[in-house]
Amino acid sequence: MNEVYLAGRGLASALGPDLVSALVALGQGGVAPTRFEVAGGFSWPYYAMADDEADWMARACRIAQRVAAESGALAGPRTGPLFLCSSSLDMGALEDHSIFDGSDPNFPALVAGWLDWHGPVFAISTACTSSLNAVLSARSLIRHGHADHALVLGLELRNRVTVGGFGGMQLLSATRSLPFGAGRTGLVLGEAVAALHLSSRPARWRVAGGANVVDGKDPAGPVPGAVVAMCQQALGDSGVAASDIALIKPQAAGSPSGDAVEAQALRDVFGTLPALVSLKASIGHTLGASGAAELALLTACLESGVWPRVDYPLDATLNTPLAEQAPPRARHVLANILGFGGGHTAVVLEDGEA
Amino acid sequence: MRVTPVNAWHISAHVVVDPLPADWRERLAERLGQRPRRIGPFAELAMYGARLCLDAAEETTLPIGTALRIGSRLAPMAAARAIAEQSRTGLPMPFNFMQSQPSQMLAALSQQLAWQGDARFALCQDAHAALQLAQQDADASNGLLIGWIEEGQRTEWWRLIRKA
Repeated sequence: MNEVYLAGRGLASALGPDLVSALVALGQGGVAPTRFEVAGGFSWPYYAMADDEADWMARACRIAQRVAAESGALAGPRTGPLFLCSSSLDMGALEDHSIFDGSDPNFPALVAGWLDWHGPVFAISTACTSSLNAVLSARSLIRHGHADHALVLGLELRNRVTVGGFGGMQLLSATRSLPFGAGRTGLVLGEAVAALHLSSRPARWRVAGGANVVDGKDPAGPVPGAVVAMCQQALGDSGVAASDIALIKPQAAGSPSGDAVEAQALRDVFGTLPALVSLKASIGHTLGASGAAELALLTACLESGVWPRVDYPLDATLNTPLAEQAPPRARHVLANILGFGGGHTAVVLEDGEA
Repeated sequence: MRVTPVNAWHISAHVVVDPLPADWRERLAERLGQRPRRIGPFAELAMYGARLCLDAAEETTLPIGTALRIGSRLAPMAAARAIAEQSRTGLPMPFNFMQSQPSQMLAALSQQLAWQGDARFALCQDAHAALQLAQQDADASNGLLIGWIEEGQRTEWWRLIRKA
């Protein structure tokens, strides 16, 4: 079986149009969310990209092309599978044009056309876990020789329906994102386009394994037993023990109940927790793109040493201190995304240089 | 639609519902003993097809270690239309948002089958490619339930078992 590596990555987010600018912004303390108006005078905090182009589709095309190019995926053959990961797809364009007959079924193919991509196209839509599920699917295809490379493209761009929908479910914070924070009141959404170019060619980061566990007992939040099962299965699939994990990037979306469930489940699996880092106070919760966006940013942070600041009090009852700097020699990293729809997905990365 | 079992799989049940009977939602409610609540037609159709396929396979639920893969050419349309209309008319918090998310269908199936496991959903214009992906990316599973949904039109399901 082939091993699977992260050959390249790209990210456009509220921190900047690419990873270099994101690291600069992060090193300077990050950016604050702006306000996103939905309707009827309602608005929510939102991590928007500093890109004011009004035409949603033209903006999406330009950003997707730039991010995919940053990942290096466009420099070689574009014949592997393309996984488009999104929970809103082209909803923003439909809103632009007042077309309300549902998403264009050809949108994933349209995105492939933007990239001049000729491989099979799949749109993975499992809400927040979409991108990590795509990483797991791509890993399986590459491991078994069905493909030698794949592009996972997370794309979650501004639209009123998504923000309004989460607001309607009372899942959003009216103020700010406070992962594991003492005063956390909910999620702050954000937009991002992220690309992970996976390949059988050896590179620094190996996708060691992962797991996806759906449990519908709570369709809007994590289920304790499912978080535990996800972690245990991800460790087993990766061939590592809990004690091998040097860093965990939890979901930690700032949800009062969700963060507490995840924290307890992590303690159940790991006992004494390794270092923890959260990226949602830096780029927001980018839903279907979040897995790809956070893996791209996390690996860039670990390589550069740039680290997100924690400028708010943490919830002492959770006992989940966030690391103030990158842990040295973090060879195995666990990245979790939990979500909406009973999804619990984790990936283990191995740093070949740690 | 034809699905070719790859590698170590064989088909233990195959169900095609095409076209959907006019009373399929009543049949589902009868099979479940109650009407499904708080889910949209997309998730109901998944539940209908999954139940028919498991009945054909003489199973009451999915065994541990079985993977669930569902594909469609379109995301949930009825709910998408409803929330888009709600958004257009200025409703700041659309009521049907959850039902527009395919992941809610996975949660509903998990809940209805009292099953926890690896479930994924993919949109794909090429049904054959989606069905091949479903088999190829479930390499760690000991069984598979695959569904294809065309909301308001048809649904097709396969129960695959790993060969001994």
